[in-house]
Amino acid sequence: MAQENFTFTLPDLGEGLVEATVLEWQVAVGDVVERNAPLVEVETTKSAVVIPSPKAGRVVELHAEEEQVVPVGDPLVTFEVEAAADAPQAGIVGRVPAEEARPARRVRLRPPSD
Amino acid sequence: MTELIERADTAADAPVVELSMQQAINRALRDLLTEDPEVLVFGEDVGALGGVFRVTDGLQKEFGDKRVFDTPLAESAIMGMAVGLAMNGWRPVPELQFDGFAYPAIDQIVNQVARMNYRTRGAAPMPITLRLPSFGGIQAPEHHGESLEALFAHTPGLKVAVPSGPADAYSLLLQSVRSDDPVVYMEPKARYWDRRPVRLREPSDPIGTSRIVRPGRHATLIAWGAMVHRCVQVAELAAEDGVDLEVLDLRWLKPIDAAGLAASVSRTRRAVVVHEAPLTAGLGAEVAALVTENCFRDLAAPVQRVTGFDVPYPAGPLEPQYLPTIDRVLFAVQRTLEY
Repeated sequence: MAQENFTFTLPDLGEGLVEATVLEWQVAVGDVVERNAPLVEVETTKSAVVIPSPKAGRVVELHAEEEQVVPVGDPLVTFEVEAAADAPQAGIVGRVPAEEARPARRVRLRPPSD
Repeated sequence: MTELIERADTAADAPVVELSMQQAINRALRDLLTEDPEVLVFGEDVGALGGVFRVTDGLQKEFGDKRVFDTPLAESAIMGMAVGLAMNGWRPVPELQFDGFAYPAIDQIVNQVARMNYRTRGAAPMPITLRLPSFGGIQAPEHHGESLEALFAHTPGLKVAVPSGPADAYSLLLQSVRSDDPVVYMEPKARYWDRRPVRLREPSDPIGTSRIVRPGRHATLIAWGAMVHRCVQVAELAAEDGVDLEVLDLRWLKPIDAAGLAASVSRTRRAVVVHEAPLTAGLGAEVAALVTENCFRDLAAPVQRVTGFDVPYPAGPLEPQYLPTIDRVLFAVQRTLEY
């Protein structure tokens, strides 16, 4: 499976916050992290929060030092992740329907006499 | 996108390839853009993004932003632009992102696209193919799932095509775009990910031809789009009970294959039509009328309809309650067998 890099940018952690200060990295370059695992603790003007990892992958670069102020939208961390399969899977409105292996039913038929 | 297949039209026995319906439509668009320099593909997010369903993935990169381009979020303007382009010799293939958003463009579709050829006595044909991701099955929010086929089939001047799987999606789109008449090409969203071995071919059946998906002798299930797959599931279950059901994929809802319907139902003597749209004044009524007119003496039971309900199309998790279920179709089959 091919690998590709994914860069996670600092999201707006409140309503209209413009920046955050990196308090402590909880991952290091080379770490393999799970999706939703703690990534970094940052402090905004409202509170200190731990940001979970948006992806599963290997950390290839941290874009900020601890104590550094990062503007919202700037790169935070780059992961190496599994490339999407060849079938283009869209981020869609709605959900991809699951194909049931054997559809359930309750009604049984009686064959016609003719 | 991975280069998966050979051009189908260069070989009668094109290789069999695994392809999703998204990829088959993408492939058809690529072949059309290649064969005809007047084909233009445009709509919301079809260019750089490649479409919300990735159907136009990679086309702008390959053919440039003069032939594959993004438009403003303005459905009426998209269709109005298609009219102007068609009058100036282009062959537009616009996309409206979801069927619910065809409503803002209805004036252009019905009053301009459908009538221009008639109005100008043939001086301004409209070789427009409107690609419309349609119907339900993905539990989308309101406006993102509708069943507009009866509205379009009822509009003189429009043709209506509905593929049910990747192979037909490819050949029906070639036919639609090459046609000098406007075609509403309705893509069943629920089947976009339907991936199966297909042989991509040049279209061999004329426009307006249905297809027998599964032959049977006790009753004919008539459907289009995602309901074809549902009917095949029903037929497989019925076979376990010793009931042999034929499944007919209508494919073209205008013109409708009255002869194909009659040929099938004359043999099986029973018919059940299945669609997602609401019951009242739905296309099932048209099918029932055609079958009754043409097969009256052969029918062993009245034509049954299994449809959505006469309510606004339900959003999200209510959808499975609305769409025809396997049991509802089986009940209808039983009613025809016991009549």
